[in-house]
Amino acid sequence: MPGERRLRNRPLAEQIALAVLAVVGAAWVVAALIDTPVFFQPVLFGLGTGAIVAALALGLVVAYRASGVINFGHGAIATYVTYVYVSLTDTGDYPIPPLPNPLAPIEGIGGIELVDFPTMVGMGGPMHPALAMTVALSTAAVLGLIAHNAIFRPLRYAPVLAKVVASVGIMLFLQAAVVLRFGSRAKSADPIFPNDPVDFLGVRVGQDRFWLLGTVAVGTLALWLLFRYTRFGIATRASAENERFSTLLGFNADFQAGVSWVLASVLAGLVGILVAPITGVTPNLFTVLLISSLGAALLGRMSSFVIAAAAGLMLGVLDQELFRLEFEFAWIPDIGIRRALPFVVIALAMVVRGETLPSRGAVQAERLPEAYAPPITRGRMVGYGLLAAIAFWVTVFAPFQFRSGMQNTLIGVILALSLVVVTGYVGQISLMQMALAGVAAFAVGSFGTSAGLPMLITLPLAVLSGLGFGLIAALPSLRTRGASLAIITLASGLAIEEIFFQRSGWFGLGRTTKVAPTPEIGGVEFGTTSDFFWGDGKIPTGAFGLFLLVLAIGCCVSVMRLRRSRLGEQMLAVRANERAAAAAGVNVAAIKLSAFGIASFFAALGGALTAYKLGTYAQDSFGIFVSLSVLAFAYLGGISTVGGAIMAGTLFAEGIGIVVTNEWFIDVGPYTAYVAGFFLIATAVYNNEGIDGFQRRQLAGLWNRLRRQHKAAPRNPPAGVGASNE
Amino acid sequence: MTERLLDISGLHTGYDGVAVVRDLELHVDPGEVVALLGPNGAGKTTTLMTISGLVQILEGSVSVMGRPVPKLRQAQRVARWGVTHVPENRGVLFQLTVRENLLLAKTRGRVDLDRAVEFFPALGPLMSRRGGLLSGGEQQMLALGRAIVAEPKLLMVDEMSLGLAPVIYEELMPVVRRIADETGAGVLLVEQHVDLALEVSDRGYVLNHGDLVMSGPAAELLANRALLDASYLGVESLE
Repeated sequence: MPGERRLRNRPLAEQIALAVLAVVGAAWVVAALIDTPVFFQPVLFGLGTGAIVAALALGLVVAYRASGVINFGHGAIATYVTYVYVSLTDTGDYPIPPLPNPLAPIEGIGGIELVDFPTMVGMGGPMHPALAMTVALSTAAVLGLIAHNAIFRPLRYAPVLAKVVASVGIMLFLQAAVVLRFGSRAKSADPIFPNDPVDFLGVRVGQDRFWLLGTVAVGTLALWLLFRYTRFGIATRASAENERFSTLLGFNADFQAGVSWVLASVLAGLVGILVAPITGVTPNLFTVLLISSLGAALLGRMSSFVIAAAAGLMLGVLDQELFRLEFEFAWIPDIGIRRALPFVVIALAMVVRGETLPSRGAVQAERLPEAYAPPITRGRMVGYGLLAAIAFWVTVFAPFQFRSGMQNTLIGVILALSLVVVTGYVGQISLMQMALAGVAAFAVGSFGTSAGLPMLITLPLAVLSGLGFGLIAALPSLRTRGASLAIITLASGLAIEEIFFQRSGWFGLGRTTKVAPTPEIGGVEFGTTSDFFWGDGKIPTGAFGLFLLVLAIGCCVSVMRLRRSRLGEQMLAVRANERAAAAAGVNVAAIKLSAFGIASFFAALGGALTAYKLGTYAQDSFGIFVSLSVLAFAYLGGISTVGGAIMAGTLFAEGIGIVVTNEWFIDVGPYTAYVAGFFLIATAVYNNEGIDGFQRRQLAGLWNRLRRQHKAAPRNPPAGVGASNE
Repeated sequence: MTERLLDISGLHTGYDGVAVVRDLELHVDPGEVVALLGPNGAGKTTTLMTISGLVQILEGSVSVMGRPVPKLRQAQRVARWGVTHVPENRGVLFQLTVRENLLLAKTRGRVDLDRAVEFFPALGPLMSRRGGLLSGGEQQMLALGRAIVAEPKLLMVDEMSLGLAPVIYEELMPVVRRIADETGAGVLLVEQHVDLALEVSDRGYVLNHGDLVMSGPAAELLANRALLDASYLGVESLE
């Protein structure tokens, strides 16, 4: 029962953490008195960023309290609204939200010219900031309403995974919309707060930070009062605890959630607008800051405004302080500790506060996507064989752009399989898979290129590196699950990216591009440029593709076998109910770790292969946003089946599906993320089994109808309907 | 005759299209206490939930003060008409304090906290304690207290005695009578303790396996103990 937790004393870990915090704080105060510029100046500088982080965290808490959703799209909403504001004050043009041109995809796919849809409405020249702010914030309110009514209300009783995926979809969609509409260059706006510098305790800083800080403080106080003392706030808390009880008392939980979504969105927009003049705005600024905000909100258990805001400010300050210290003291290694700060804080929050995210007392819970294991029939084997044969032909003999697409697809399949195992089978949301892939890719550079080891040693070593990182990063999953785990893995991914990919020292070459050796075993080269006796000889040749095909088929078969094995059954048991699984004698911790291990293996393999395929690569291929879109495609394809992973692979960036669309229909390139975001949301809301599950049901329905025509009454259910696994 | 406070006729209700209660006829008038009796699984709680709009009606009609009960999504409207439902698990919100729990008695307008304390003086010193920290009896007092300050026209109480010591629920039962007498509210009382419930009730209905097997004035039901017991045991012929 939720109430009982309050009865316990503070856990020991929390006491220790508080003690450590107190000691560090005291040490810092002493240091600040002795050397003010080094120890105090960063505080004032950090308050600016801290205020943004805090303000975003407030919005996250509002959304969570109202609907139990951790909104990964919060930062993107802030970004979008800010761009609207900037556009209004700059030129007075209002972009029709959120599409760049609603007809563009249709025009493109159809290859036709439709009427020119007005996508920017001129509002008569640059607008007064106050008016622009009103219009932009109204846009935010509408976005909030849409998010609630079209996405999160239908998902009220859905599993956490669907909610996380939907909010990731919002993020991808809005961010892509911003890039398509406004380009990816940074924009700025005229100051709103006075920004003349002031002297404060001997440090000269811009006044605007204090204004921003004051605004955040007022906002925090207002939210605290709202949720503490007003009937609306109390009733919203009541609904969060038990929706049925609050309904019996006459409160409309739906309405409350809608209001809170509007509130959260408007807050996000306000943050963006107030901050834009100070820092400028880029398409992913707020989404990157959001990771710190998630940490801050998590420290406040997603329910305390005051703790979340304070933690946000602290994060900003600490970030600047670490930056200053790294700069000041040469002995502190420049390995990006400060960039990993959100991760450290989130990890600490998890260890200290454990599983204390208040869960929502839902009236009913919906099912997770079915982990369908098709019965192995002769017909199906023939089908698989046919599929492999087609893949073989495309890989080796098709025109070069198809061969290239096929290679991307094959790697994509392996990457998606990693999510099928960890997220589809065990229900643990991992947002760090591409970071693990990156570790392996960079290891290929280090072992293969720098150390000159042969591939037979390099590839296993690279995969092992990724696997090792994956297992370490998986440790928090033993204590957390659901949305908290999603946040932690996101932060781990960021930490790995920042510390290992962007710095010199760890993987030899640092920020510059890395070079992978040509794959060869026993003197036989089979890189993308190696000669191959089949095909037209153009680059990429079929050699590397064939290697990928063999590996991808091997991975698919292993995951299919895994699903049918005892381990697979145990994984599904853990997914369904950890406690029940434990009670039935399943070692939950071991199952989770093995799932993360297997998933890391696939991710690392995919990453190493990416390195070999690309030849030269930089960290951009393995950033957290790539991780998010990998999850997006895997969910879109079907998160809990091998068929879904294959489907995901074809949809993948420059995968065979995209190449075919480009070649035969239209160039969807610029719209990929945009369309993916849209379909991701739609999939999360309306069809949680993805494309694979959808077509399976359609086929089963068709098969059923055919049988019914053939026989009056079918005695056995058709394949695909009977075997259900939860 | 004026409109009935609660009028149920030909009601079939249940879950996933399967009727748990069949062909129920029941009414409650202002100022009367009506007991809804029956063994486990008879469909008493389902009936109350249907009146509150939390369970979809399959067939028949339920009207409160002449208004039909709305669809599931609009369930909160029933409460705003003046129907207060104290559910089986009492509906106390554990994360909220006693005061906050009481404040939620009404969706708008002032809530008279003193009135709750007047009925249950024990709640007085507990005002800032969290609901989750109350004892079972205190929680039931809070639930009833909240129902009183809601100033309902129809009060429904589900299994008030569940999990409570006899001394406690024997004290709580007369309160229900008092609410009906003092405020003119109609009360629908679901109870397993037959004698206790009928003592404070004007009339009673007995459900078994979803069918209405007996109904009548409370005194009559009490007087006919053998028949009542038989109806509980589901004896086929009662003649």
